[in-house]
Amino acid sequence: MTKIANFRLSKTTSVLGASLLALMATTAYGQDKPLAGVTLTLASQNDQFGAVLAKLAPEFKEATGADLKVEIMDYGTLLTKTTAYFVGDTKGYDLVTMDIVWAGAYAENKYSVDLTDWVKRDAAELELDDIYPVILESLGQYDGKYVAFPFAAYANVLAYRKDLFEAAGLDVPKTMEEMVADAKTLTDPAKNQYGFVANGQMGAAVAQDWMQYNSQMGGSILGADGMPALNSPENVKSLAVYKELFADTAPPGAIEYDWGGREESFRQGIAAMMQTWSVGAPGYSDPAISNVVGKVGIATAPVGDGVAPEYGVGGWGMAINADVDAKQQEAAWTFIKWLVSKPIHKEFNMDGAGSFMRKSQMTDPDLLAKFDFLPVIATTYENGNGDYRPRIPEYPEIQDILGSAVNAVLSGAVEPQAALDEAQAKAEELF
Amino acid sequence: MSQTSSTGVQPRAQTPRLGWLSRPRSFTDSRRFFLFFMAAPAVLYVLVVGVWPLAQGFWYSFFRYNLIRPARTKFIGLDNYIAIFEDRGARQAILNTFQFTLTSVGLQLFFGFCLALLLWRDSRFNRIALAFLLIPATITPLVVGLIYKALLGADYGLIGYYLANAGIGPRTGLLTDAGTALWVLILIDCWEWTPLMALILLAGLKSLPADVLEAGRADGATAWQRFTMIVLPLMLPSIFLALVLRTMDAFRVFDSVFVTTGGGPNDATNTLMVLAVKEGLQFFNIGYASAIGNITILFIACMATVLLLVVRRADVRINGK
Repeated sequence: MTKIANFRLSKTTSVLGASLLALMATTAYGQDKPLAGVTLTLASQNDQFGAVLAKLAPEFKEATGADLKVEIMDYGTLLTKTTAYFVGDTKGYDLVTMDIVWAGAYAENKYSVDLTDWVKRDAAELELDDIYPVILESLGQYDGKYVAFPFAAYANVLAYRKDLFEAAGLDVPKTMEEMVADAKTLTDPAKNQYGFVANGQMGAAVAQDWMQYNSQMGGSILGADGMPALNSPENVKSLAVYKELFADTAPPGAIEYDWGGREESFRQGIAAMMQTWSVGAPGYSDPAISNVVGKVGIATAPVGDGVAPEYGVGGWGMAINADVDAKQQEAAWTFIKWLVSKPIHKEFNMDGAGSFMRKSQMTDPDLLAKFDFLPVIATTYENGNGDYRPRIPEYPEIQDILGSAVNAVLSGAVEPQAALDEAQAKAEELF
Repeated sequence: MSQTSSTGVQPRAQTPRLGWLSRPRSFTDSRRFFLFFMAAPAVLYVLVVGVWPLAQGFWYSFFRYNLIRPARTKFIGLDNYIAIFEDRGARQAILNTFQFTLTSVGLQLFFGFCLALLLWRDSRFNRIALAFLLIPATITPLVVGLIYKALLGADYGLIGYYLANAGIGPRTGLLTDAGTALWVLILIDCWEWTPLMALILLAGLKSLPADVLEAGRADGATAWQRFTMIVLPLMLPSIFLALVLRTMDAFRVFDSVFVTTGGGPNDATNTLMVLAVKEGLQFFNIGYASAIGNITILFIACMATVLLLVVRRADVRINGK
C-alpha cells in the first residue's frame, strides 16, 4: 500500500499549497472577523475610562478583527486638537470622546455623524430601556438628535468624612444651608482640618464647580428665554455663599485647585466634605493614594432649602467623526455598540472606568460588591439634570467668562454683584 | 552666399530682443544671479513661514472670523482693534504686559550689570560661578512656572506653606492675590533671565580695550569715574543688544503666566500673549486673536525704535558722535 507520506512534493508545489492554506485561513478569519483590517483611532479624555479603553482594545480586536488605537490627552488638548481637526476636515480620529457640554458645538457645526437613525435601527441591541433617560438625553442628544452616544456617565455626589461627622455629632447635610453650617463646624485650621473643598482655579475648574452649587441653590446660567442670566439675584446670592465657603471653610490654597487638587486635598484628609463626580469615588478606598480609606461616605448632593431635588449629571459621549468615510463610520458604530453592550460595559466599570449608566448595573452583585455607593448614583440619575451647564454652542466662552469672574470673587478682588454684572455684559455679546 | 566681413570673420547675427534673459551678462551680473539663486530657498522659506502668515494675520484681523462659527464670518474693518481697547480685560492685559516688561527688564539690567562686573575678572571661581548662574536660563519657562507654582502653593508649597503660616503675604498664596501675583511673576522672570543678561554684558565687558581702561587708571580716575566715563559709554552697544533681546522676549511672556495664574486673579496677570492664545486656540476667535498679535508686534517695534533712539542719543551725548 502506498503511504501518503511517501509522495514527494516538489518545492514549488509545497510553497503553493502552503500559500493556499494560508489564504483559506485568512478568508475564514475574515468571515469570522467582520472588521479585519480596519483600524479605528480614538481621541480620549484622560479620565479613568481612557486607560480602560486602551486595555479593552485587544478584546475588541478579538471580537471584531479591528485594531483600536486610543490616544489619551488632557481636557484642553482634546478640545483644541479635535476642534482643529474637525475644522480642517481632517480624518485624524474616527472616534472622539465628547464632553456633555460640547454637544451644542458638535450639533451646530455637524462635526459628528448624526447617529439618530442608527440608534433607532439598533435600539434592541443597545438595550436603550436599560440606560437612564437623563443620560441618553444629555450625554448624547442635542435638539433630539444623537451627536454622540453615551458611554461614561458621572453623578454629582457628596463625599464626606464619616469619622469627622460622627465625632462632631453631625448628620449628613441634606440642604445647602446645613452643608455651610457643617463645614464651618468641621473647620479647624490649627489641626489643618477644613470643612469643605471645591475647585477655585481660574477657568473651567472653578466655573464648573460653581455652576453645580449654583444649580443646587436655585440659580441658573440661562434665563427662561435661553439668553444668559448670569447676574440674576439667585446667582449673585449663590456666588456669595460660595465665596463664604471658600473664605471660612476651605484650605487656603483651594483657590488654586482644579479637580486633581481638590480630590488630592480630600484624599489626604485635609477636607471633610466636597461635591464631586462619582468617577473619583473608588479612589478614596485605595490605600495607595488615600489617607482616608474606610472613612468616606457617599451621599446625594444637598440642595437649597425649598429647591426641588435635582442632581448634577455629567460625563462623556462617544462621537464619530463626520469626515471619515462610510466604512470607517460603520466600524466606529460597531465599536460603540460593543462598548456599551451590557457585558462589556460591566467589564469596563469593573476595570475602574467609573462610568456607570445602565439601570442593571445599579443592582449588579459584582459591581455592588466593589462599589457600594451605586444606589446613591441611581438616585442621582433618577433625579438628574444634565443641563445645569448649558449645552449650547456658546458654552466654552460662557464657561471662561464665569471662570474668570468667580475666581476674581474668591480672590477678593471684586464683589459677586460687580463680577457677575461684567460677566453678563460679556456673555450677551456672544448672542 | 552668406555675407562675410573683409577680415573673413562671420558677423554676429542680430539677436532678437528677449529681455533680461538674452542680455549679455557681465561678471557682476552673473555673480548676482548666482547669489540670488543660492539665497532663493532661504528667501522662499522666510516668505512661506514668516511673511505669508504675517500677511494673513493682518488680513484676518479685519474680519469677525471664528473657526467654529464660519457662517458668521464678516468684514468688520477696525472693529477688532477697537474691541481690544474697549475691553477692560484686554486693556488690563496691555498694562500688565508693559508693567511686566519694563520692571522685569529694568531689574534684570541692573542686577545683570552688577553680576557682570563681579564676574569680569578672569578667575576659575568666576568661570564656575557663571556656569552655575546660567542654569536657570537653560530651563524652559513653562517648567520654571510649574516649579514656582508648586513652591508657592499655600497648602503644600515648600515656600508658600511657611509664608502663609507665618502670616506673610495673602493667606491663599502669593500667586492668588491680585496685589502680589504680577510681582511674583516679575521676580520669577528675573530669577530666570538675569544671568543671561549678565552673560551678554560680560561679553561686552571682556571686549573693552584694555589700554583705554589702563589709561584711565594711569590718569588717576576713580573707580566710579572709570565706570561712568569709560566703561558705560563703551558698553552702550552691548547694553542695547541685551535690552532689545530681553524686551522683545519679556513682552511676549506666556508660558510662566499661563501655568501659574492663567492670567488671573481678575486679569491681574493677564498679558497680551495669554489673551491671544486663549482667544485663538481656546475659542478659535482668529480675527480677534490676529488683532492682538498685530498690536503686540506694533508695540515691540515701537519699543525697539525708542530703545535705539535713546541709545543713539546717549552715544552722541557721551561719545560725541
